[in-house]
Amino acid sequence: MAQSAGGQVVSREGTGQIHENTRGSKAVKLLLIGLSVVFLVIMLVLPLITVITESLKKGFAEYAASVTDEDTKSAVQLTLQATVFAVVINTVFGLCAAWAVTRFHFRGKKLLVTLIDLPVTVSPIIAGLIYVLTFGRQSAIFPFLEEHGLEVVYAVPGIILATVFVTFPFISRELIPVLETIGTDEEEAAAMMGAGGFTIFRRITFPHIRWALLYGVVLCAARAMGEFGAVSVLSGHLRGKTVTLPLHVEILFGDNKFMPAFAVSSILVVFAVIILIVRSVVEYIGRVKKNVH
Amino acid sequence: MYIELKNVNKKYGDFKASDNVSFSIEKGKLIGLLGPSGSGKTTILRMIAGLEKPDSGQIIIDGKVVNDVPASKRGIGFVFQSYALFRYMTVFENVAFGLRVQKADKKTIAPRVRELIKLVGLEGFEDRYPSQLSGGQRQRVAFARALAPNPQVLLLDEPFAAIDAKVRQELRSWLKEMIAKLGVTSIFVTHDQDEAIEVADEIIVTNSGRIEQAGTPIDVYQNPKTAFTSAFFGQTAQLESYEAFKSFQEVGDYDKAIVRPEFIKITKKNEVQKYKSSAVEGIVERVAFRGNYIEFTVKCNGSVFTDRRELDQEPVSVGEVVDVFIYRIFVTKGNEVRLVENSALREESVVI
Repeated sequence: MAQSAGGQVVSREGTGQIHENTRGSKAVKLLLIGLSVVFLVIMLVLPLITVITESLKKGFAEYAASVTDEDTKSAVQLTLQATVFAVVINTVFGLCAAWAVTRFHFRGKKLLVTLIDLPVTVSPIIAGLIYVLTFGRQSAIFPFLEEHGLEVVYAVPGIILATVFVTFPFISRELIPVLETIGTDEEEAAAMMGAGGFTIFRRITFPHIRWALLYGVVLCAARAMGEFGAVSVLSGHLRGKTVTLPLHVEILFGDNKFMPAFAVSSILVVFAVIILIVRSVVEYIGRVKKNVH
Repeated sequence: MYIELKNVNKKYGDFKASDNVSFSIEKGKLIGLLGPSGSGKTTILRMIAGLEKPDSGQIIIDGKVVNDVPASKRGIGFVFQSYALFRYMTVFENVAFGLRVQKADKKTIAPRVRELIKLVGLEGFEDRYPSQLSGGQRQRVAFARALAPNPQVLLLDEPFAAIDAKVRQELRSWLKEMIAKLGVTSIFVTHDQDEAIEVADEIIVTNSGRIEQAGTPIDVYQNPKTAFTSAFFGQTAQLESYEAFKSFQEVGDYDKAIVRPEFIKITKKNEVQKYKSSAVEGIVERVAFRGNYIEFTVKCNGSVFTDRRELDQEPVSVGEVVDVFIYRIFVTKGNEVRLVENSALREESVVI
């Protein structure tokens, strides 16, 4: 823990060194900062301003109407529902997977770690298609699903499934390095004194991983809300039923309803801003806590 | 016997960490498990603790086979090499942890923890976190924490390895005193022979997964039973061929001839040497100031010996010819060892 703090100090000194040693670097510095700022303005700030101005173009009343529209409300609800499911399922899965990978020796461990990363490398559209093939009409298990009244494709479970799939590396990926760094000594010490598995997790391991876990949850939630590709394939675009916010925006845009499309987008922007704030707070608290211990 | 290991084997893949290990320990003794790194001493400790399971053999504590008893139920205190203090708990909470998980009466926890913190001399540090303590203080906390639930056995894995030399010396005597006072049966692992000799009541020497020898420090040091033990203690020198040194009996076929520093006497030409006629000449190769003494090496018959001279003795210089007399030699064959005395010593006793 002290190492990371030390590392920061060193790197700060390091950059100072470069500035002093390489004279005439002021121009380079300004150029690099300028480029970053211009890039960010074009890529991020301008679109954001556009979203907000476009959505308020016809006045606040119109904006409010688009935002409180029945379809929009249902999209918000579904998006939040899918996000909550993704976060809960992936928290459980992430904890289990990270624990297994860092605390046990077994065959195929490397394969498991690689597979956990798969959703990051596979295009979400393909993920969606895979689920359509696995759970859709042409699938071998479809009769079984139908018999039990389970609808996956073009239904809410499919959307949740797709969201879980694309977000499942986020939490375990945050936890694995932390669990590896803390090692098993403290856990063994606690076990020697008679603590059970759950007590060890709650009192010994959890304090170490809680900020990493929370950070993973934030990333997972952010990704879940914005997911488009896999969800798009599985949704079937049934308005008011299987349409999430990003899909709703696409539909409105496709219908040439630009103002409502921007208005709905602004909801996602608000969510994104909330997540950014939460993330910064989590990062800040995590850092402060780390330096204390 | 309080703790007994019977024919214990443990393999990690192809690596034999414990190879038919058997030994027994009396109640209340402080035992040093001594061996080079990779000799399997930590594995033995972890098996006694229940953190590793032996592949075969029995581990018996207080007359009961504990192979299938989980670590948490063995009543053993364990001090980890890294101390493994709970980083997110204060000193007080660290020491109290064992009592809390065992659902001890709330009223007894605080006094017991205070008592232990006082015992290890850390009063006033109760509310500190481990990161705010020095290495020696952390070790004391680890010690107090392991003792809190009143264990019958205390195991310590390289308890002094992570502490700087000066504090280590203090802690050694402190730990020995503390354990003697408490009377808890203790086993500590170390690779440092000086530490084992100084702290332990009994030493068990391990090498490549086997027990080489067990006994009191004096016994193990003076009467090595195996080739490994004879070479492990002290700064030993190996002789190319001991026949080149005068007045040693022939012992027949052998692998190595080992000489401990106290087996040799090196004198200047103008100094008295009782067995001068049996001494061999050597040349001083290197002289080094070591603070309160001078260390020098002498090359003699192809072997290199290291010896000391006090500061008040006449100094030796590089290139000087000196007399080297060897009292005795450990001669090894396979894993057998024999002590061969210089026959000049015997003639002397005959004359008297």
